[in-house]
Amino acid sequence: MEAGGGSDIRDILDINNEPTPMTKENLLRSKKPLKKADGIQFKRPEGMHRELWGLIWTDNKDAPPIIPTDTNQGYKQMKAKIGRSRVRPWKWMSFTVPSRKDGAIFHHWRRIADEGKDYPFARFNKSVDVPTYSDAEYQQHLHDDSWSRAETDHLFEMAKRFDLRFIVMYDRWNKDKFPNRSVEDLKERYYHIQNTLVKARAPVGTDPKVRVYDGDHERRRKDQLNKLFIRTTEQVEEEQMLVAELKKIELRKKEREKKTQDLQKLITAADTNAESRRIERKTTKKKILPQTKNLIGNINPDTTGIKFPDFKTSGVTLRSQRMKLPGSVGQKKTKAIEQVLEEIGLEFNPIPTEEIVTSFNELRQDIVLLYELKLALANCEYELQTLRHQFETLAPGKLESLNLGSILIPSTIGASSITTTPEKQESQGEDVPIKTEKKFSETIDVVSTPTTPNKKRRAALEQSNILKKIKGIKS
Amino acid sequence: MSGGVYGGDEVGALVFDYGSFSIRSGYAGEDNPKSEVPTAVGMMDVADAEKMETEDGPVASQSKYYIDTNSIRVARNDMEMTSCLKEGMVENWDLFEQMLDYVYKRHLRSESNMHPVLMSEPAWNSKGKREKLTELMFEKYNVPAFFLCKNAVLSAFANGRSTGLVLDSGATHTTAVPVYDGYVLSQAIVKSPLAGDYISMECKKQMDEQNIEIVPPYMIGSKEAVGEGEPAKWTKRDKLPEVTKSFHNYMVKDVMQDFAASVLQVSDAPYDESPIDSMPTVHYEMPNGYNIDFGSERFKICEGLFDPSVIKEAQGNSMLGTGHVVTTSVGMCDIDIRPSLYSSVITVGGNTMLQGYIDRLTRDLSTKTPPSMRLKVLASATTAERRFSSWIGGSILASLGSFQQMWISKQEYEESGKVCVERKCP
Repeated sequence: MEAGGGSDIRDILDINNEPTPMTKENLLRSKKPLKKADGIQFKRPEGMHRELWGLIWTDNKDAPPIIPTDTNQGYKQMKAKIGRSRVRPWKWMSFTVPSRKDGAIFHHWRRIADEGKDYPFARFNKSVDVPTYSDAEYQQHLHDDSWSRAETDHLFEMAKRFDLRFIVMYDRWNKDKFPNRSVEDLKERYYHIQNTLVKARAPVGTDPKVRVYDGDHERRRKDQLNKLFIRTTEQVEEEQMLVAELKKIELRKKEREKKTQDLQKLITAADTNAESRRIERKTTKKKILPQTKNLIGNINPDTTGIKFPDFKTSGVTLRSQRMKLPGSVGQKKTKAIEQVLEEIGLEFNPIPTEEIVTSFNELRQDIVLLYELKLALANCEYELQTLRHQFETLAPGKLESLNLGSILIPSTIGASSITTTPEKQESQGEDVPIKTEKKFSETIDVVSTPTTPNKKRRAALEQSNILKKIKGIKS
Repeated sequence: MSGGVYGGDEVGALVFDYGSFSIRSGYAGEDNPKSEVPTAVGMMDVADAEKMETEDGPVASQSKYYIDTNSIRVARNDMEMTSCLKEGMVENWDLFEQMLDYVYKRHLRSESNMHPVLMSEPAWNSKGKREKLTELMFEKYNVPAFFLCKNAVLSAFANGRSTGLVLDSGATHTTAVPVYDGYVLSQAIVKSPLAGDYISMECKKQMDEQNIEIVPPYMIGSKEAVGEGEPAKWTKRDKLPEVTKSFHNYMVKDVMQDFAASVLQVSDAPYDESPIDSMPTVHYEMPNGYNIDFGSERFKICEGLFDPSVIKEAQGNSMLGTGHVVTTSVGMCDIDIRPSLYSSVITVGGNTMLQGYIDRLTRDLSTKTPPSMRLKVLASATTAERRFSSWIGGSILASLGSFQQMWISKQEYEESGKVCVERKCP
């Protein structure tokens, strides 16, 4: 301890007999090898893997601990180990900065070992390479009517001084001596000159690299940015509001388009139905039924009516199966069918002769079509009403002057126009009582929903009626 | 130096930073100035004053000057308070020299020819004054190297930015200075006289309105504790010298500064009587023992800083509120750099230490900036960092290894004369 301490003190005080040059490497190398704790050799404990033992046996030259201990070995080194090596002295010494032309001498603290070395910060002294031009070059290539030679020189001096920070150059531009230029003007002139010089100096045959600068584009860009910047909060809000409105309008437009498309489909479906019926009538007189069966499938393949399943390939079936309503028909539609059937006094399940099945299915398809048309009509009327109300609230009293009354559809139109067609009754056969006057489209109620208690009661009543009827049929 | 290239390289430079309230000085590389000397100086004509052999404070020239906190607060016959600065720029060079002498001798205690000097200057300093200062430093103080740097740039450096808008609210004025890549954009500087002194003035006015007499501590011989709102019981000091008006005003302002620092608060939203009335009051005791609670006045006094329309004087309407100073300055800069300015609005200066100042500024600015701009108001948390930000920036700059090439050395000065300051110090 004493001997070691003595040497430490000698080290610190730098009293040393052997003056070796004190560099970091030297010091690290000259560290005295630690005394080897020889003597006691430990044997590998029974059962321990040789590899593990190989890793740990040199650790401490101690008997391996029986219980795990928490020493400050490994990652948990608590203290930095300093002071092992000798102190490397510092000195207040003079230095010069290589990038300075004046050779000014400054002083700073530095390790003696580093004395005479280059100034380490010198490599950060970077400057931008600004081209220079000779008089001849200027005369030949760079002459510009709007820029004088003095102004160009000023530009290049500024470029060098501010390392091409054009915004600062613009700020410090000598406005008394030269005309006021914008940042873009400065950039344009600078890059033009640089490119011209590069081109002029490039050896013939080579393709020099030029920097593209489009001053007009930049000016336009800044103009736009400025306009964007000077908007007031109200303007910004207005714009946002307008965009939101536009979206709403587009959405509504789409909705309307979809609606009219659906409507169009319905109308064409109705038309084709009627059309096909006529054809069918002609054909039924001449030919027999397989064709009509195909027709039913073809009439309205997409939206309207009921699509009855085709039993072509399924072998032997009961014909009554063809009359069965497919599951895709909604409850409301089923109800509507039932109502109409009840109204015209038809059985829900007539005897499925070939003819009856076809006709019955057709009838039900027509009922559904009718139902859908009526629904669409009701929708349209409702919309018309709301629009009319809106119009009236927005511009009260102007409704008459616009003569909108003529556009309004009389509310009875739906009921009056659609009546039972004679064909249906004909095709239904003799057992159907003819009720031509009855407008049974009225029986289909599309507007009100069955949520009102009144309605519910009615629905319940109807249901019981149906049940009674069914019972009556069965009995 | 061995700490690699990340660390600084200390060359023993000195940093001076003068502002309208005080002159800060110290060694580069340290985190706080060694000394802060008030810019206000006591001046006495030699003809009047007898030859007094006192401490180092008074220095004889044509006039006798009393420098530093201790000596200026002593009540003396015919001592006028004055300042070497005007609008932040050096005006009285004789006095400025005296102060530098004093700082070198009493605070830094060092030879001026041993240390390079980095000095701050206001961003709007004139060419003539810069050259004169350069001349003074080289000719009189014989410094080995010198550098002048705009205080806004230094403040930005102290906050770790090289680009940003520096809003400096000090004693005499509030300024917004755009800094781009370490250069001040001099065309877009905006100044407003609404700052610390204005607040002190408003405080005084408020006291007058409330009929509260302000007795500076130098007048008080003894005092007794009194209850809240009761008249003060105090006796005047005997043998009180015949002080000048400027001295008395200075001492009153001093009291008001303390009042402002401990009582005032800036309201979050534009001043409105009703919510403010529900805010807690603050108790304050005047030097003479009179004490009272302050409620809505706390907020009312500061409101003028942000909304000059509340100022009663006729000129009030032409002045710019703090938020407006910032937006006007940014609005004058190139559109391309505006986002980077708005994203670092650096607030410095003693006046920004008013409670709630930063919050209100942030609020005002966020209503004024376009929604697409990212706004960030930077403010150091500690008092010292905000008051001494430009000194700290200078301390950082002067101790950087890569800065050592920037100095104007004595050789350069001797070669090209004082004009070199324009070229070397942008």
